[in-house]
Amino acid sequence: MTKNEFLNQLKILLKNIPEEDMNEILYDYEEHFRLGMEEGKSEEEVCASLGDVKLIARQFKADVTIKQAERNTSTGNTFRAVLAALGMGFFNTVFVVGPFFGIVGILIGLFAAAAGIIVSGVGLIIALILAPVFPSYIAMDVNEIFAFFTSIGITCLGLLFLIGDCYLAKYFYRATVRYLRWNIEIIKK
Amino acid sequence: MNIQFKKGVLELCVLSMLFKKDCYGYELVNKISKNIAISEGTIYPLLKRLKDEGFFTTYLEESQEGPPRKYYKLTDQGVETKLKLEKEWHSFVKGVNKIIEEGNRDDQK
Repeated sequence: MTKNEFLNQLKILLKNIPEEDMNEILYDYEEHFRLGMEEGKSEEEVCASLGDVKLIARQFKADVTIKQAERNTSTGNTFRAVLAALGMGFFNTVFVVGPFFGIVGILIGLFAAAAGIIVSGVGLIIALILAPVFPSYIAMDVNEIFAFFTSIGITCLGLLFLIGDCYLAKYFYRATVRYLRWNIEIIKK
Repeated sequence: MNIQFKKGVLELCVLSMLFKKDCYGYELVNKISKNIAISEGTIYPLLKRLKDEGFFTTYLEESQEGPPRKYYKLTDQGVETKLKLEKEWHSFVKGVNKIIEEGNRDDQK
């Protein structure tokens, strides 16, 4: 292959890359040929040591493509990210913040209910113990043994309720964290 | 030699040569191909990529023998990268040698 054949083939293989890059590349190989021939090599010898022109072109193309992809992320994608963030902001205020506080309210209510049941169970036990001491203040008309077991039952029910609440709160917390993370991912893209 | 492996090493070779003094492309290509078996043509894509990544700049300088030549000059970022890659290379070679030597010792048992 001669110098011109090599350069023409390179030019054809690189026809899609920016002109600025193309000129730079062709200049480099022209200089290489010139200096090689100054050393007394023939065009064929220089071509042979340069290697496969297709392989060379593929390398340049790959690098240029990567460079363009990186440049694109800095303009178009930033704009898209801002839009995404704005969109997410709107979506979050309307559809997420409301339900979030709603669920927090329900959770608080459930905890209060558990606390109420526990307090009533414990209160019943205290009332049973104090009934003989202050007969004038506390009137127990029921069977005391029945009342005693009922109070233990109510207290245990309250504790189970509380444990259930804790699990619910934990799942809710995890879901919230996951949602926030997903939000951040979306905005980053 | 594995092509990916070679590419990484070539980067260090180019940076090391330019660390000593500014060179023109033919000089770099010639020296590398004299020492490492590689098609000369594939070094230019590497030079262009490293230049685009900001490891060195280029300038044209007249020569006594004819038209100007394109010289490559390391930037601060290039110097930094050269020192980092060199360190990595030495610890890599040390590690590989250690494994090879241990392998040979086991064979003799």
